[in-house]
Amino acid sequence: MVYTKRTFWPLIIGVIMVGYAYLVQSGNMAPLIKFLNTGRYVGEMVTLGYAFGGVAIAAGLWHLVAAPREGHADYYFSTIAGVMFIMLVAFIVKWGLDPLMANWGRAAQPTLGFNFASVMNLNYVVMGILAGIIVVNVFKVPHWAENGVRLSRLGLKTGVILLGALYSFAELAQLGKLSVVLIGIFVLGSVWLVLVIGVRRNLPNSMTGVLSSGVGVCGVSAAVATAPVVQAKSLEIAYTIGTILLFGVLCMFLFPIVGKSLGMGYVQFGAWAGTGILNSAQVAGAALAFQPGGIETLKVAEIFNITRVLFLPIIVVWLAIWYVRREQAAQREVQHVDAMQVVISKFPIFVLGFILMFLLSSTGIFAPARHYQGSYFDNSEKALMKKDRAGKEINNFLKAEEVATLQKELDKIKRDDQKAALTRLIENKKVMSEDDDAMVRGVINSKALSKEGTAVLSKAHRVVRHTAAKIAKFRDLIAWFFTFGLVGLGMQITMASIRQAGGQPLVIGSIVGVIKAVGSLIVVMLLVAETI
Amino acid sequence: MEDKFDRGSALTIFPSDRYEDLMALVISLAIAALIYFLV
Repeated sequence: MVYTKRTFWPLIIGVIMVGYAYLVQSGNMAPLIKFLNTGRYVGEMVTLGYAFGGVAIAAGLWHLVAAPREGHADYYFSTIAGVMFIMLVAFIVKWGLDPLMANWGRAAQPTLGFNFASVMNLNYVVMGILAGIIVVNVFKVPHWAENGVRLSRLGLKTGVILLGALYSFAELAQLGKLSVVLIGIFVLGSVWLVLVIGVRRNLPNSMTGVLSSGVGVCGVSAAVATAPVVQAKSLEIAYTIGTILLFGVLCMFLFPIVGKSLGMGYVQFGAWAGTGILNSAQVAGAALAFQPGGIETLKVAEIFNITRVLFLPIIVVWLAIWYVRREQAAQREVQHVDAMQVVISKFPIFVLGFILMFLLSSTGIFAPARHYQGSYFDNSEKALMKKDRAGKEINNFLKAEEVATLQKELDKIKRDDQKAALTRLIENKKVMSEDDDAMVRGVINSKALSKEGTAVLSKAHRVVRHTAAKIAKFRDLIAWFFTFGLVGLGMQITMASIRQAGGQPLVIGSIVGVIKAVGSLIVVMLLVAETI
Repeated sequence: MEDKFDRGSALTIFPSDRYEDLMALVISLAIAALIYFLV
């Protein structure tokens, strides 16, 4: 089979990308960029436009000129066109539709009484997946792009591994305990519930087993991993995957709306999405839809998601024992299945990759080892005395009038530890330690000082917190890997796969899914504080 | 989509999930190395 199709489309995509990058660089797009308020993306519009455009032009020439024969070169090079197709959709959505919808939402607010773009979560993540679904179901994925669309899951997995670089030991230790408890209760609880309902409704043991794993653990990969243990047939795996995807897609759109209407914070929503949504890709989609401008929610959600995946070996062993017992009770012949062998051969390596990246990051090679979300404390003179682009020195120590403002308001502080931290700040004209910084943030949040006093404290806090350049680069790349993966994921959600979710598996999966979503929402709202 | 491809599956170009995971790991490590040396 030859995968490289003779087409001029990749070349056209390349010319569009390079042309757009050139127009942005030359300033010709300035009025549009101002109208859409996308000035913050100018750098990446130029860089990514030229980079991907260049690759697309080269791929386009390959598609036009080469006469490939069946083999590795044909198979792998032909994926480039699909990747460029997804990236073009991602560019249009992120730099065009997303800001346009935000503009329309704001413009319609006085008439409608609410910002529909914000309420309906019409951001680039949701619109990217929707664009993918529309492309595949209305227009069909072009035949020359089909091979490349199958790389979207690789993009998502790469994004998850890279995400490990953003975590530090301190952060994981705090969230880890909570996630293990929450996930433990809900994963084991949902698996147990599906098994009970499946047996009551006389579903085949293999169907019940594979569905319980899919609904309980981490969606599609868990269903695939446990299928050999419970000897599930392909149709049963397809039913399970259809149920998980349909329920997951619904959750992905509904969770952010519910989260925003309940006023949930990043940590709360991340914990809820990571616990309540069935499939890894949709967890990422919901978290990014809830907070499109940052990745704090995504990080929390992924910790919960990863913790859930770590339960997979336990579930596989449990289901292996359950299945063998049920089949033996029914006196059917059971093929011998080595549960440990299945665990070793099916455990997702990308989870280990995430942990490896986390360990690398914890050594301090990307940012100081004590960094928190890429931000770290440094009050050295070198960090506080900086130079602007013109080479002029900027002194970030507190100025005499700022010290005077704080001195005047010191008596408003009632807590001794906060007073002591502020006294040290006044004496040294800078925040003296990470603990003092926490005290300063406490005073800022309590709004105990006047507007001027709080502004001085905010500045003192800001100048000792630094964002590691390497971690910032990781953040940008992760966002693009997820955007690519989710647009491609949308292109794989066909009406046929949604229809596969009919019948009993959908009923049982939905009942347990709703119980899990509502139950985890209640627990998260009661137990998870925003300031973990 | 299954019949359209004689290699991989409808969801991936790779022969197995394990292979895809390993590729994701290799790409991630390469990116991490680039960030470490260039940024």
